[in-house]
Amino acid sequence: MKSRGKVWAWFFIILGVLYFFLPLLATFIFSLKAKLGVLSFQSYINVFNDPKFIRSFTASLLWASLTIIVGIVLFVPTAFWVRLKVPKARTAVEFITLIPFVVPAIVYVFGLVRTYSHPPLLIVNSPLLLVSAYTILAMPYLYRAVDIGLRSIDVRTLTEAAQSLGAGWFTILFRIILPNIRVAILNGAFLAFAIVMGEYILAQYLAKPAFAPYMAVLIQNRAYEPAALAVLSFALTWACMGIITLVGRGSGQAQVGGGH
Amino acid sequence: MTHLSLNNISKQFANNMVVKEFNLEVEKGEFVSFLGPSGCGKTTTLRMIAGFEVPSTGKVTLEGEDITNKAPNQRNVGMVFQAYALFPNMTVAQNIGFGLKIRRENKEAIKERVAEMLTLIHLEQKGDSYPYQLSGGQQQRVALARALAIHPQVLLLDEPLSALDAKIRVSLRAEIRAIQRKLGITAIYVTHDQEEALSISDRIVVMYDGKIEQVGSPFEIYNFPTTTFVAGFVGTLNTTTAEVVDPATHLLRIDGVQLQAAEGLDDKQKGDKVTIAIRPERLNFIAQEKKANIMDCSVENITFLGSVVRIQVLVGSNRFYMDTFNNPFLALPNIGDKDQVTCSREAVLVLRQ
Repeated sequence: MKSRGKVWAWFFIILGVLYFFLPLLATFIFSLKAKLGVLSFQSYINVFNDPKFIRSFTASLLWASLTIIVGIVLFVPTAFWVRLKVPKARTAVEFITLIPFVVPAIVYVFGLVRTYSHPPLLIVNSPLLLVSAYTILAMPYLYRAVDIGLRSIDVRTLTEAAQSLGAGWFTILFRIILPNIRVAILNGAFLAFAIVMGEYILAQYLAKPAFAPYMAVLIQNRAYEPAALAVLSFALTWACMGIITLVGRGSGQAQVGGGH
Repeated sequence: MTHLSLNNISKQFANNMVVKEFNLEVEKGEFVSFLGPSGCGKTTTLRMIAGFEVPSTGKVTLEGEDITNKAPNQRNVGMVFQAYALFPNMTVAQNIGFGLKIRRENKEAIKERVAEMLTLIHLEQKGDSYPYQLSGGQQQRVALARALAIHPQVLLLDEPLSALDAKIRVSLRAEIRAIQRKLGITAIYVTHDQEEALSISDRIVVMYDGKIEQVGSPFEIYNFPTTTFVAGFVGTLNTTTAEVVDPATHLLRIDGVQLQAAEGLDDKQKGDKVTIAIRPERLNFIAQEKKANIMDCSVENITFLGSVVRIQVLVGSNRFYMDTFNNPFLALPNIGDKDQVTCSREAVLVLRQ
């Protein structure tokens, strides 16, 4: 009975792996066929030689970095304050952080365009609006990651201990809280990074250079290069996940507690 | 001049008054314990001294300065927490030096003070260790050193030994007391453990339901409890209701047996009901002829407690415990034996309600 169950378990695992990896493998092989009759990295060379790729990729990198910075500056103190001073509001705040999952991006972007395309808030062309929008989009990942990190330490007692030693709020946040939740922040930051790098609708409708709209244009005009870009996107996401795992496994997160 | 003074302090959370008209004056270098059950307001009172709670009414004064509304980081108060609260991202040395770094003291001075503190807590070799590499007892010693490193005007300890096992608790409390005496620092210690409070304190403040029940030395609190609560909370005590027979001669009656107290009936009338208490170790079987405070009893139970043997006797309808030192060369009574027990007049304590 037991070994039969094991066989089925393996069957479903293999089925799952095939379902996920076969298309990727096919895309990868296809991306190598840019030169007739031989397998080569020509499509990758073409992509890297395209100045539009460099421009859109670096633009997305910039948006992602700014989103992470703004997100950390906003969400770490908020989550810290909610946990310390208004724990009863946690459920309400958690609900708010989930709203980006509920509102479709297309609805969201039209709301932004309508609201910010006339005075006094004429910022529809500003990168500020795009970064703000991305910050909201990354909020569920970033805020919850920070909140989970805060749950792993005794925020109240550590704060009070620091206060009794003379520390102010800034010192407490930057020298006590942040270092102890840095793995959680990194987790959230990489997720936010992956979201922004692959985001299409906001960048397209707010008319800003970004990686996903570039890819969409490329798909319409070229055959092998979009496949190469898809493989590169996967590689980038996996690299992020790998770094999260590595940092999490290492001594990044300070350990709490001790033996007796 | 009083070092720390709490004048008429009260604290209300929503509709719940957790500390009521608390008054206390603490001298410099004194070790005062707040003792009471959970929810009696002892930690809230400590937190008002630390500045983590602002009193609803009243005033906190430290060395003559009103610190009632001062932020915690503006007060020079060291605090040791039950959960150690060491910063996990810092080494032991960095933890101890944290307060000094905040005060922008120079590197050499910090290094010197950290070394001094590590010697004080006998952890000279652990400066580079992280908190998670230490045992609970070691972590709490580091927390103590960290609180002391900043030369606080008063040291607050909030149930610092509760998370430790019994053996370490006993050795660490002796260490805390020795360090406090050596440095001559004023300390306020919160505990619900009567043995801890009795062994460590100069004075004990027994609290119940947000109010002070009794303030006194461990000797006074144990031997002369003034309220029913203190009598019941500190140590084991035989309590019963007695009728006042003659207030002038302090004569009482319980179940037809006459007992004489030494004091406490001055404001009573004949026929009044009072609560009396007798410590188990103050009761004895009658060894020689005695004229007063003789109570007929029957032995109900005998419990061996190591150095002490606890004998439960029935006096009228009252069950009393009687403690005697364990002496292997003296015969113990048998269960069911009829005998007589007695106590001195001073052992009969008349309690306030």
